[in-house]
Amino acid sequence: MITLESVHKWYNRGAPNAVHALDDISLFVQDNEAVCIQGPSGSGKSTLLSIIGCLFAPTSGTAIIHGKPLSRLPDRFLTLYRRETIGFIFQRFHLIPGLSVIANITIPLLPLGVSLSERRHRAERLLERLALSHRKDFDIAHISGGELQRAAIARALINEPPIIVADEPTAHLDEQLSNDFMSIIAELKADGKTILIASHDPLVGKHVAIDRCLSMRGGRLTEPER
Amino acid sequence: MLLGNVNRHLNILDYALGSLWRNRFKNCGVLLVFSLVIFIIASFRLVTSSLDNSAEQVLSSVPDITVQKMTAGRQDVVQRIDIAEIAGIFGISEIKPRIWGYYFDELNGANYTVIGDAAFDAREQLPGLAIDYRGTYGERAGVSPVVVGQSIITSKNLVVRNSFSLFRPDLSLKSFYLSGVFAETTSLVTSDLIVMGIEDAADLFGLADGELTDIIVSVANPTEIDTVARKISERIVGSRVITKQQIRKTYRAAFGWRSGFGLACLLGSIAAFIIFAWDKASGLSEEQRREVAILKAVGWQTTDVMSVRFWESVVISILAYVLGYLMASAHVLVFDGLLLKPVLLGWSVLNPPLSLLPVFHLSDLLLIFSISVLPYLAATIMPAWRSALVRPDSIV
Repeated sequence: MITLESVHKWYNRGAPNAVHALDDISLFVQDNEAVCIQGPSGSGKSTLLSIIGCLFAPTSGTAIIHGKPLSRLPDRFLTLYRRETIGFIFQRFHLIPGLSVIANITIPLLPLGVSLSERRHRAERLLERLALSHRKDFDIAHISGGELQRAAIARALINEPPIIVADEPTAHLDEQLSNDFMSIIAELKADGKTILIASHDPLVGKHVAIDRCLSMRGGRLTEPER
Repeated sequence: MLLGNVNRHLNILDYALGSLWRNRFKNCGVLLVFSLVIFIIASFRLVTSSLDNSAEQVLSSVPDITVQKMTAGRQDVVQRIDIAEIAGIFGISEIKPRIWGYYFDELNGANYTVIGDAAFDAREQLPGLAIDYRGTYGERAGVSPVVVGQSIITSKNLVVRNSFSLFRPDLSLKSFYLSGVFAETTSLVTSDLIVMGIEDAADLFGLADGELTDIIVSVANPTEIDTVARKISERIVGSRVITKQQIRKTYRAAFGWRSGFGLACLLGSIAAFIIFAWDKASGLSEEQRREVAILKAVGWQTTDVMSVRFWESVVISILAYVLGYLMASAHVLVFDGLLLKPVLLGWSVLNPPLSLLPVFHLSDLLLIFSISVLPYLAATIMPAWRSALVRPDSIV
């Protein structure tokens, strides 16, 4: 379960360029729920996902994930919690250039001390599931946009996290690839994952895998669209 | 737990190696400059230790005690009768007269060291010094035998001929024939040396009968050398008594000073390199910042990112250390210290044709390691820490 209570997030608070990115956000997401957060650019979607994804703490308010209050945790513990609990899929995939697909996918396992054979085993299983086995040793510079997307999903899943957070995952994909992506999301939901997707792509919000859509504007959650 | 920790470090090392390879052009530049710095430092140490070693071999033939006479603060001749003054000192095993002087050869502007040895014999080996004997070819009345150093062979063109002449103070000529040549291994001190009988040396320098430049004393028990030296200085008024240990110290000081001066100059280049390393490690490109942010976003701790940078520095510095030391060894062993030998031996007209035989000391390896690798690692820690502080949300 994910619970946010009266969460505020300020950037450069007190400075002339201060931004009130999240303004009194309260949100409750159940386990195995798939939630889509919609809204225009700059509405605060990515900031909200970053707090839920444990990338940083809110300025004020309470964020509780799986019963653990994260609002005041130092970075070190946020990182520990993030790698055990959250799988993050970024808008621009953010894979590391110069590394192969399989090397990119297994990066989250390196600081955990997982052996090479175990890493390969886990990655190959995921690649097979995502139909990317034939590209496993390719440099990421030599694969297509859809394959990059699937590699990014594989990396998010390699630690078997219960929560998947995706920030504008279909922004750089065509309709076919966006549908493929949502099919994978539906499979993950069927596996019991909790899913949060920030997107202004209508295809995402209307997909059958999505249980609930939330709308954001000016850092505030507005009424759900359906 | 322990296995997991070992695996973690192996994984991070593996990632660091991959990262070095991905940035290979930048890293090759650092590696090359670092190797060059270590090459120069190691070359200095190897050439110096080779010279020390050569000097040590040669100094084993230096007399236990050399007695000279001082008049008005300057060296003067010793009288042969002074030998009787010290003959009774307990512990002395042998006393020999000697003439030691310098001959300036105007033809080629070189200074030769001339030693007149009372025990010199054209057919017998001089104790402690390796000599290649040429036999007695050229022996005839009025022509004296000599043993010369390697540089004299070239200087006096003695490759094809066997005899040469030097001027007495009254400009009359005194002729010599070559009975032997000092081996190249002793060139550090024998290169410009001409050894002859003591009467021939007195004749060449125009010394009066019974006049010497020094008296050579051998002591039976090496631990008694200082005591015997003190007694000699008490018996011969105005004498200067030099022990073997003092000569050894003088040689060491001469080479040690040059080596120390060279190393002091090199400290500047080490400092410059450390600044260069700091600068390289600090200047993160946008690509590198993004990579750190990705790593942290997918669950890497700041310490994990620092470990990657640490391993990168370790690999670069160890590689540079090995490469630099191997190049230095090749420089000394194969190229005979081509770049540094003139600096450490000096620019004499008669350069000793000495072949360097490097001596590898563990202390030298550790010294070079501690003044190159350790400062490099220290210089990259702070930039590594700063680079690891990139926030994971910067890629969102």
